[in-house]
Amino acid sequence: MWGKIAWRLFWRELSRGELWVIAFSLFLAVLTVVSLSGITESVRSALYQRSANFIAADKILRSSIGFNEQIQQKADELQLQSSRQVQFNSMLFAKDLMQLVSVKAVSRGYPLRGELKLSSSVADPSLVAALQPNQLYLESRLYSLLNIKVGDSLELGEKEFIAAGVIVAEPDAPLSVFGSSPRILMHLDDVAATGIIQPGSRITYRLMFAGSQQDLELLETQNKEQLGPQDRWQKMDRESAIGGALDRSERFLLLSGLLGIVLAACAAAVAANRYSQRHARSVAVMKALGATTTLSRKIYGSHLLFVVIFSVGFGLVAGQLLVQLSQWGVALWMPDYLAEFSVRPLGLGVLTAAICAVLFSARPLWRLAAVPALNVLREKPDQMKFDPVHLISGSVAIWLLMWLFSGDLWISSWLFVLCLVFAALLMGFAAVMVRVAKPMAAGQSSALRLALANLRRRLWPNAFQLITFSLALFLTLLLYFLRSELLDQWQQQVPEGAPNQFLVNLTEQDKTSLQQLAIQHNLELTEFYPMVNGRVLAVNGENFADEATKEKPEQRQGVGRELNLTWLNRIPDNNEVESGQWFSADSKAEVSVESQMAERLALKLGDKLQFSVGGQVFDATITSIRKVDWNSLQPNFYMVLSPDLMQGFPATYITAFYLNMSEQELLNQIVRQFPTVSLISVDTILKQVNDIISQVSVALTFILILVFASAVLVLVAQVQATLEQREQELAILRTLGAKSAFLKAALLYEFAALGALAGLFATILAEVLLAVVQQQFFDLPYQPHWNLWWLGPVLGVALVTVLGAWQVRQLLKMSGSTLLRRALQN
Amino acid sequence: MKTPIPHIVAKDVVKTVQLTGSELTILQDIHLTINQGATVAIVGASGSGKSTLLGILAGLDLASSGEVYLAGQPLHKLSEDERAELRARSVGFVFQSFLLLPSLTALENVTLPAELAGMPDARARGLELLAQVGLSHRADFFPNQMSGGEQQRVAIARAFITKPAVLFADEPSANLDSATGEKIEDLLFELNEQQGTTLVLVTHNHELAQRCQYRFQMHAGRLAADLTQTTEDKRHVG
Repeated sequence: MWGKIAWRLFWRELSRGELWVIAFSLFLAVLTVVSLSGITESVRSALYQRSANFIAADKILRSSIGFNEQIQQKADELQLQSSRQVQFNSMLFAKDLMQLVSVKAVSRGYPLRGELKLSSSVADPSLVAALQPNQLYLESRLYSLLNIKVGDSLELGEKEFIAAGVIVAEPDAPLSVFGSSPRILMHLDDVAATGIIQPGSRITYRLMFAGSQQDLELLETQNKEQLGPQDRWQKMDRESAIGGALDRSERFLLLSGLLGIVLAACAAAVAANRYSQRHARSVAVMKALGATTTLSRKIYGSHLLFVVIFSVGFGLVAGQLLVQLSQWGVALWMPDYLAEFSVRPLGLGVLTAAICAVLFSARPLWRLAAVPALNVLREKPDQMKFDPVHLISGSVAIWLLMWLFSGDLWISSWLFVLCLVFAALLMGFAAVMVRVAKPMAAGQSSALRLALANLRRRLWPNAFQLITFSLALFLTLLLYFLRSELLDQWQQQVPEGAPNQFLVNLTEQDKTSLQQLAIQHNLELTEFYPMVNGRVLAVNGENFADEATKEKPEQRQGVGRELNLTWLNRIPDNNEVESGQWFSADSKAEVSVESQMAERLALKLGDKLQFSVGGQVFDATITSIRKVDWNSLQPNFYMVLSPDLMQGFPATYITAFYLNMSEQELLNQIVRQFPTVSLISVDTILKQVNDIISQVSVALTFILILVFASAVLVLVAQVQATLEQREQELAILRTLGAKSAFLKAALLYEFAALGALAGLFATILAEVLLAVVQQQFFDLPYQPHWNLWWLGPVLGVALVTVLGAWQVRQLLKMSGSTLLRRALQN
Repeated sequence: MKTPIPHIVAKDVVKTVQLTGSELTILQDIHLTINQGATVAIVGASGSGKSTLLGILAGLDLASSGEVYLAGQPLHKLSEDERAELRARSVGFVFQSFLLLPSLTALENVTLPAELAGMPDARARGLELLAQVGLSHRADFFPNQMSGGEQQRVAIARAFITKPAVLFADEPSANLDSATGEKIEDLLFELNEQQGTTLVLVTHNHELAQRCQYRFQMHAGRLAADLTQTTEDKRHVG
């Protein structure tokens, strides 16, 4: 019986527009969650797949002893794709010439991710070739270094090979190759025949895997005991510009998504309150006519349930469509992108809707059913009073949502407390400001006076309205400014015209001719960094252990291998001295160490390091620790020596320049003119970073739109909540003879004043939080936002006035008698 | 003439409300017996407590002390839900401001009490009543599409659909112009007579009160006098 009444009332309420704000708020919340987490997941998996290209696999197990067959077996059980790689340094012989090379031997299936480009011609990189056993593909400079041509015979260890062509591009070429030996690529099956691998040889074995992220995680987490001290999972490079961008965008998307959801939930709460207010009379009538409280509860509870089902249904479909759209967009940008369907965003959407509905909207409806039947006899039924339970349930919901989205109890609790403090501050501020309005009103025009009197009369409802307006504006402003700031930051990392071509291994002689060439072609060369290879042998007279131990597996990695050493008078651009002093003109035997390496090797100021360069051993004292921006695509060095130490060592140089994509021909000319120089192009990496930035900026714009829509929704819900009261007041004022234009002006002033106050609060809050978020979450330096200080108040006035006026326009159009009749009926 | 059956009984009813720091007495010393089928008017100035009394007699509110019986049921001992069920079965209401549900049509408003009471044939009976109040052509109209008089006629049809034993009317014509108000009053008494309902009417309109068999004057929370015997006293009328 009640079902029929409930259903009929529901449809009527829906068609009368009574439930739309709640429905739309919930819809928006679900849409936001589904699309955001879906899009973030797509972008993340795209970036992950893209980053995987840099290591040619999704996951790599590195070992110094041999391939871990147990892990291989587990990977096969999980049906992961796999391939193998061995890396070592060796001498390559061509008749009587020889050269130290860095060898990479790969099995079939390499690379699992990304693309390997080999060419059978040194001059023409477009002649595509494939790696076969008995072949070597060489970095092009080796052809001139060894004075050979394609097809010539070469010797590596005990085996003879054919020089089959050149390596044009390999996905997992190390980014920090500045100054390393020339690279060659061979087939893994040939390694044994070379006889190079002997006990004690310095070899890196890599088991490379690709497959679903879930299986890959299983492989790592379930097989920890199968790993020896020599085995290490290789993480994707989080230090790279791409890793950083990915991390920041992920945090940002989640944070801003949360803001949108909280706003939408607030709109739902306000709308549910208004719904309850408006229906208090109807419930009293039904109860007078014999409905029990339980029955009313069933009827109005079912309304909320229908709205939730309705909104969640549409929200899920629309959200998933947006996700599909974004995946389609990602596929345009990354043709080999494999879209994965995930139910997680959908589940998250349903959960969010449930939290919003139960904790934000259920309480007013619960109270609605408790309205006493006696209210039918009251001319002016009690306004539903402030409800502390609703406030608490709403707060709990916000905290739960924060937790759900940040996945971090600490951050969510911290944010939550911050919000509470802000809300309390705002409440106090609002009360003071609204009180101040009275003296201000004296001597103003009568419309303005009426507006200010109105503000003051509804002190607490207005203070509450002010808080929601302020928060809505604040979130919009915050997001707007953070978005543009992040984009700026990222773009600064790869500024237009940043060097994209690096030349390594330049001799003194090359240096001069290159400078001439640069003048000829109008190229701007960066500084020439001198470079030698060396090793650190001892710290304070204590030799480093040769073998890695389980306790200190990093040790050998950090120091045992060769380091690129440089010497400079002035500190490089992207470096910052953390402690100690940079070299002075009379510095003698000093060294500056990069901070992470210093930490890893427990080095401190004043330690004495023993270096070996080209067979000569010398000491240097650490006089500074530097912080290096590894995001910058610039030559960076772990150790910088004071210039006095390096007099007399034969050095090679690194330099870089920017070359327009259309002038690629010049690169070929440089390669021909300087055959022993390595040319490293970071164009692809730069392009990838730019691609990611543009993707993320689209996502950010989308979120900004969602948050803005939610903010508008909150404003609409709030103004709607006061419509009845305004209608009554207008009726009275019109009856008393107030002119329509006067009332209109008074209303506009009231909204404008509310908007200006809200805008001002929002601006202050945004400035404070921008400072906090910038420094704590995104590691960005703080700068004041002057634009914010006019944009905030202006946006507040414009938005609140326009939305307010738009909603009360019907009321203003009505004649005095219509208003009076409606007011009496309410 | 059959023996009158007491239908509504109030014994020593007192109603007080707590204000901050003090207690306000709204009703005191109320003794009242209304027989089945009687028509009773309670008259009094605004604020005299007549609506409060109506609320207590109809089981919408509880007295602070005293006993109230409605259709043989002790209202002062029933829970809120039990009172709601009693109202659904035995009580009809007509309110000053009509109080139709704005989202239901005229017919749906009329049938609502019958549906709440789980009565069969609600729709047929609703249409019949709408015809009786002359609004068959407005069955599918919403309250905001109807005039005040029409809305009150719908409310009267709604009040009679459950064939209630008692009908409470709170200033039924106060929000209407006098011509429409009179028509509404006619309709109310007509249906009341047809169905033999006990009618309790609260009004400040003495002319309307004159149409009832019994009249009581409320003054400052007390039931001052039974005016029935003084109907000739023109000072109190008009």
